[in-house]
Amino acid sequence: MKYAPPFQRTNGFWPIVAVMAVLAVVPLVFTETYARHALILVFIYAVLASNWDLSLGYGGIVNFAHMTFFAIGLYGYGITAKVLGLEPWLALASGPVLAVGFAALLAIPILRLEGIYVILVTIAAAQLLLQIVVSQSDYTGGTSGMVLLPRLTIAGYKLSADGRIGYYYLALLLTVCSTVYLYKLERSSLGRAIKALRDNKYYAISRGVSEGRIRLLTLCMSAVFPGLAGGFYGAYLRVASPDVFGLGFLTITLSILLLGGVSTIWGSLIAAFVITVVTEWLGDFGAWRNIIIAVLIVGVVVVYPGGLFAALQECWGLVNRFKTNAVAHWRRRFGAADRKAVMGATDRLIDTRHGRISVCDTGGEGTAIVFVHGNSSCKEVFRHQFDAYREHYRLVAFDLPGHGVSPNADPDADYSVEAFAEILRDLVDQLGLGRPAVFGWSLGGYVALEYAAQGHPIAGLAISGTSPITKFPDDMPRGYIPSPHMELAGKRFHSPYEKRNYATHTIGPDTPYEPLVWQAVWRTDGLAREQVFATLKTINWPRQMQLLRDGRVPFAMINGPSDPFINHAYCRTLTYGNIFGGAPRNVGTAGHAPFLEAPAAFNALFDRFLCFATDAKADRSAG
Amino acid sequence: MALDTLLFILTSGILLGGLYALMATGLAVVWTTLGVFNFAHGTFVALGAYIAWEVSQQASGGLGFMLGAAVAMVVMFCVGFASHYVLIKPFERNANLVLLAVITTLAAASLLENGILLTWGPRDKQIAPPIGSKFELFGATIGVHDFVVLGIALVALLALALFLRRTSYGRAMRAVAQNREAAELMGFNVSRLFAAAIGLSAATAALAGIFIGSLRFMNPAFGADPLMKSLVVVILGGVARFTSPIYAAFIVGIAESFSSYFLGLYWTPAVLFGLMIVVLLIRPEGLFGRRVKTL
Amino acid sequence: MTAPLLELRGLSGGYPPVSVFRGIDLTIYENESVGLFGPNGHGKTTLLKTIAGVIDPWEGDIVFAGNRLNAAGRMAARTSRHLNYDLFRKRRIKAATVVEQGLIYVMQGNLLFPELTVEEVLDIAPRAARGRSGIKDMHRRVDMLFPRLRERWHSKIRYLSGGERQMLSIAVGLLALPRLLVLDEPTLGLSPKLRIELGEAIGKIRDSEVPLIIVDQNLEFLTSLVDRMYLFDHGSITREIAGDAMPSHDEVMAMMFGKAG
Repeated sequence: MKYAPPFQRTNGFWPIVAVMAVLAVVPLVFTETYARHALILVFIYAVLASNWDLSLGYGGIVNFAHMTFFAIGLYGYGITAKVLGLEPWLALASGPVLAVGFAALLAIPILRLEGIYVILVTIAAAQLLLQIVVSQSDYTGGTSGMVLLPRLTIAGYKLSADGRIGYYYLALLLTVCSTVYLYKLERSSLGRAIKALRDNKYYAISRGVSEGRIRLLTLCMSAVFPGLAGGFYGAYLRVASPDVFGLGFLTITLSILLLGGVSTIWGSLIAAFVITVVTEWLGDFGAWRNIIIAVLIVGVVVVYPGGLFAALQECWGLVNRFKTNAVAHWRRRFGAADRKAVMGATDRLIDTRHGRISVCDTGGEGTAIVFVHGNSSCKEVFRHQFDAYREHYRLVAFDLPGHGVSPNADPDADYSVEAFAEILRDLVDQLGLGRPAVFGWSLGGYVALEYAAQGHPIAGLAISGTSPITKFPDDMPRGYIPSPHMELAGKRFHSPYEKRNYATHTIGPDTPYEPLVWQAVWRTDGLAREQVFATLKTINWPRQMQLLRDGRVPFAMINGPSDPFINHAYCRTLTYGNIFGGAPRNVGTAGHAPFLEAPAAFNALFDRFLCFATDAKADRSAG
Repeated sequence: MALDTLLFILTSGILLGGLYALMATGLAVVWTTLGVFNFAHGTFVALGAYIAWEVSQQASGGLGFMLGAAVAMVVMFCVGFASHYVLIKPFERNANLVLLAVITTLAAASLLENGILLTWGPRDKQIAPPIGSKFELFGATIGVHDFVVLGIALVALLALALFLRRTSYGRAMRAVAQNREAAELMGFNVSRLFAAAIGLSAATAALAGIFIGSLRFMNPAFGADPLMKSLVVVILGGVARFTSPIYAAFIVGIAESFSSYFLGLYWTPAVLFGLMIVVLLIRPEGLFGRRVKTL
Repeated sequence: MTAPLLELRGLSGGYPPVSVFRGIDLTIYENESVGLFGPNGHGKTTLLKTIAGVIDPWEGDIVFAGNRLNAAGRMAARTSRHLNYDLFRKRRIKAATVVEQGLIYVMQGNLLFPELTVEEVLDIAPRAARGRSGIKDMHRRVDMLFPRLRERWHSKIRYLSGGERQMLSIAVGLLALPRLLVLDEPTLGLSPKLRIELGEAIGKIRDSEVPLIIVDQNLEFLTSLVDRMYLFDHGSITREIAGDAMPSHDEVMAMMFGKAG
């Protein structure tokens, strides 16, 4: 299930509101016609490029006849309004209709072709249309084009009056409508089908996506707003010339698309502004202007193919990483007392081969229990266990790198379940824990399983909120109940709403507010989330399952019966060689974090497991 | 229709065909070797012509022409060679290579075209043809120069074909086109072979440009037409064999010649592009070939 | 024992950001042939391609005949996801250097160059050994090993059968005058009869004192040809098996996947 929150709950909401407010006010501040004219051009280019992105970026159809949609809108307006004498507003509507019609025609040759042939056939189609327009000079004005097209009026008010302010707001409206349209389309099932066809054509077809229909729809839907923009352009400038078919116009729009970044709507909008400002500024340089744009295109494509939007995201990522690290540093420094109050022991930093890790160790002589927390959480989730077992066992909990008060680490090397298991191994060595019992929660469950599967010393293994899987990713939908929250777990940037949502659902909606755990969700390095999920496929999953089957290690699975994520029925069907209680156990009415939601019942059960594990060990050594 | 008119149309068609064959083969060499379409090919034609014009100004008559041609081909080989490292190699491992190459070569075309405009200005120029004499054949007047051009074009194509078939370096170039990884594992410098392929293509483009520049007037934007014509030729003929685009070039040349005479200048490109769409619809692999890329 | 010919120390690699194999330690001595056995899709071919210089290793050493083939140290992390690193980063290993040293990798299911003829391919094959003596000699030996290729001298490779193509691939490898020949699944998709024929030819190559690394899915075929064997699973070498203790198919399955059931 794809997680798609409503727009007002994403990180983009407030920036967009701010930009909209600025754009609404700008023409009132800059009253000279030239500034408004430049911004109107920005809007037109933005509409053209972002709609082109629908076919080129999302659809993977490299349609070099995209500009003809615009040209058709332009000439459509010119011919219907001037030659046929239609009401200008009605003539404006003819643009999208004609453009969609042409797109449908264009789809016929495109349906059968791939790759470079699509580019060639669309270029040929655009040239063919140009030749037709030029040859029909009675209607289109031939090479010199049409002039004095009718202008738009509202109840007698000319939109061009008062320094073109009417056209400015009309263009802004056009851009907003086009953007909303693209945004909604991208998130619709049709949008997903379009992307699926691009990413893995044969798989998408085998899952019932009709290639012909979707390609046709992609082209037609990418033609609507360019057609409208063409009509608007005609009404605004009052000329229609065959220049709009030219390579120069195409190159500028393409450079906007590439500079902004393909497969993002916002990129084109930002780049339209940047490129228009730059070209207007370079306007006096003649040939140099084209050379600079050409160098810019090659530079972007060759050096940074992601474009402006990707660059913005990367900057945001860097800020986020710096911020989370600073927060961790700050809390390490000044929050130690709070954490000691909760855990009953101070934490310290220990060097491992995957960076420095904050570890809370009660010390003492007894058998050690190591607790491994889950995704976007912290060691303090185990505070009830630290309360209950302090007397009898040596308790160790640690913050995974990028989590809690551990510093952020190298995303490539240190953020993966295998790396986390190696950290666990290093801690066991350095603290001299001997053969510890390991409890892992959620993602920590996989860390514990991986640690045990690698054959490191372990007295007992307990997991909670984790479904053991054999084959990745095939078993994921079996082991887990598909829900939007699963998507959140691997998402790099959470909006505040998503953070709240994630925090509530992982520790249970009825659990009283846990300040440290909530803080941990905010503090977590987004790259850790993303990278851990991206590297799941390299784990030796069958080895983990074999460990459970062989029963070499006493094992317990203690879940909350109302866990919103894991599939209990799946967990019960697996074969366990040496499982505590004969089957996965449930605790009270808890959710994903039984040890935090129902600590008393959990601790009682876990206590019995520890006895089971030590007995089993005794049996083994006796046998 | 009078015989002399027919003959005139036919000879000008054949001459056009020879030029198109030269340009289209260059385009086809790059396409089959690197798997990308070089949209700067037309500008290579133009740049070659301008360089030859510049050099031919230094000496008069046949010597200037020859010198210009030689210099232009060498310079264009280098330009083509370098353009691989700038325009294609940086993202050769990218999955979107085909699209990215279209974009970078388009940009390069714009860059070179504007460079020509800045260097030589917008005024029309013509390279003085070294042989001015004409002769009459069945009442039609035909320039000797035209025949020489056609001859040199065909000889150049033959030389290119022999190079690719018979020499080890040419064979390696074909090998690298067909299986890049295997060629790399045999110890070939793949990038250099690719660059050399573009260089060769640019040199043939320059030769074509020199001929066009001596037959017609040239201006900075005159590369656009040869590019479009080469595209039509390559699509029409396909690239299954070395000769496929050559046959197609003569067909297009003669067809264009007839169509200009009977339908008029405006309709000729429309007919060609219409023809190209129809061929792409019915036989995307071209009229003369299987669905393979080779040389 | 003689000096090691090829030594891999802690080699890791893959297709960034996906790590495919990790911490590979492997040593091959002069005059021995070694097998690599493991399930499909676990990174054997990626490992061999890395050694051959097609893919950059991430960390570790590839030492061949005393020369280090890859750049020292660890591949720097890619901090930016969109920056085109191919533009700035030098390759950490070069296929041209590797083949010139005499480490020749014969690709799996090698299609070679479909539109070239056998003659043309064998003409350009000794590229890596150019300037060295013995190429003529090797041409003669290839003729003796694979007489079939002479019969198809002027055929394009696209018209060759799978077995003939495989023979040609090996012939191309031999013409580079290898000091170590790596054969990646030479019997892939071949009929049993052809497999025997090819096995004999590979045996002759081994007897002519060209060290071999062979990857194959057929354990019997593999054990009949190699002196030693490595088991490869989930991107790492899980076990080394000496020549005098070649296990049966079932034993290997038990080693790799645990007991049945």
